[in-house]
Amino acid sequence: MDLLEPTRQAFALLLRGDPELLQIIWLSIWLSVTAILLISPPSIALGVLLAKRRFPGQRVLVVLVQALLSFPTVVVGLVLYLLLSRRGPFGSLELLFSPAAIVIGYMVIAFPILVVFTVSAVQGADPRVYETARGLGASGKRAALTTLWEVRFGIIAAVVTAFGRVISEVGCAIMVGGNIEGLTRNMPTAIALETSKGDFAQGIALGVVLMALALGINIVMALLQGEGGLK
Amino acid sequence: MSQALFEAVGVVRRLGGRRVLDGIELSVERGQGYVLSGDNGSGKTTLLRILAGLEAGDAGVLRFQGEQTQLPRYPDAWRLRAVYVHQHPYLFHTSVAGNIAYGLKARGEPQALQRQKVEEAIAWAGLRGVLDVPPQKLSGGEKQRVALARAKVLAPQLLLLDEPTANLDNDGRRRIVELLARLYAEGVSVLIACHDREIIELPGVRRFHLEDGRLVPLA
Repeated sequence: MDLLEPTRQAFALLLRGDPELLQIIWLSIWLSVTAILLISPPSIALGVLLAKRRFPGQRVLVVLVQALLSFPTVVVGLVLYLLLSRRGPFGSLELLFSPAAIVIGYMVIAFPILVVFTVSAVQGADPRVYETARGLGASGKRAALTTLWEVRFGIIAAVVTAFGRVISEVGCAIMVGGNIEGLTRNMPTAIALETSKGDFAQGIALGVVLMALALGINIVMALLQGEGGLK
Repeated sequence: MSQALFEAVGVVRRLGGRRVLDGIELSVERGQGYVLSGDNGSGKTTLLRILAGLEAGDAGVLRFQGEQTQLPRYPDAWRLRAVYVHQHPYLFHTSVAGNIAYGLKARGEPQALQRQKVEEAIAWAGLRGVLDVPPQKLSGGEKQRVALARAKVLAPQLLLLDEPTANLDNDGRRRIVELLARLYAEGVSVLIACHDREIIELPGVRRFHLEDGRLVPLA
């Protein structure tokens, strides 16, 4: 197979700002950012709670969330499909094959990543942080927020990892989004579709964008850590 | 006779089946300096942390300016009066000035007053030269001075210092001892746990030795 020609075409598409390509890229970023913005606050709050408090069923909850980490995204898609399909319990909402369905799927996928990373970051915090804050007269809530601020690089890593996971996710997005052009077709689903059609140029172009995004995010992370995240 | 600022009566702390503190009796007078000596593991840190409300005592009574609590309860309001400085103080990932201002912010002090007090504390601790250094990159002695300034800026009624000169080089140690001498001279009530002879022998200081879970006054 000649790889040079589709690669050349891919860069040509990127350089001339192909409208269809840009629309797919924009939709992917928009759906991923929306999902991460919506699910991050409750997930981080739950992560802090699981890390700092002891309550009945806490261990079970941690194990359940950890188990969700290894769930195939296509299974998440299947469950959501069943819930959102016309005969499902939430069928009346008519969300299936809509951008909102993809956002919900992304939120489900990002949730365990955010919770587990937050638990790990907060448990790994220096115990003197909370104690020092309390000793200086901070309320319990303020001391907890100070702890979160001190482990902010771990929290940012959680958010970035979750974003990286959802923006490159294909199984759930295809199942609940339907890969509808102009509505729910995002970068991974477009790559899968175009490759199956033998049109490699657009797939390569979107692959390059995905990899550039991943590289960019990791460079930003490294720069942030250089400012004080690395101990 | 003047009323004691702070009193501990019959404070007990058990750890691993051992009574680390076995009926501590302590009376702290306003403006007086105290030094607490004792072997490693004798319970000095535990006692200071109980007095600061950072660790629960198993039994005993604490009195602060006439108010009383039965351990392990510790009133939140007392945390604004008694400040504990850790042997290896933790400095937050902000600036030196941000660290010193932390407790003032937590107390909701007006910003203008915060700035003024932080400026005074920086001058007091001789930190002007390290204001632009990230706190995590300061030397042990500098960190300890930031922690002292961060505590002193709150004008606590009782300052509890845990081994403030431990693991410091000579210069760092000398500067901390100077600051402690100034604290005493300024009439701040200070209770210091330490082994440092120079601190133990500071003039006007009352000395106690912690042995077998009990406090023994020293001449």
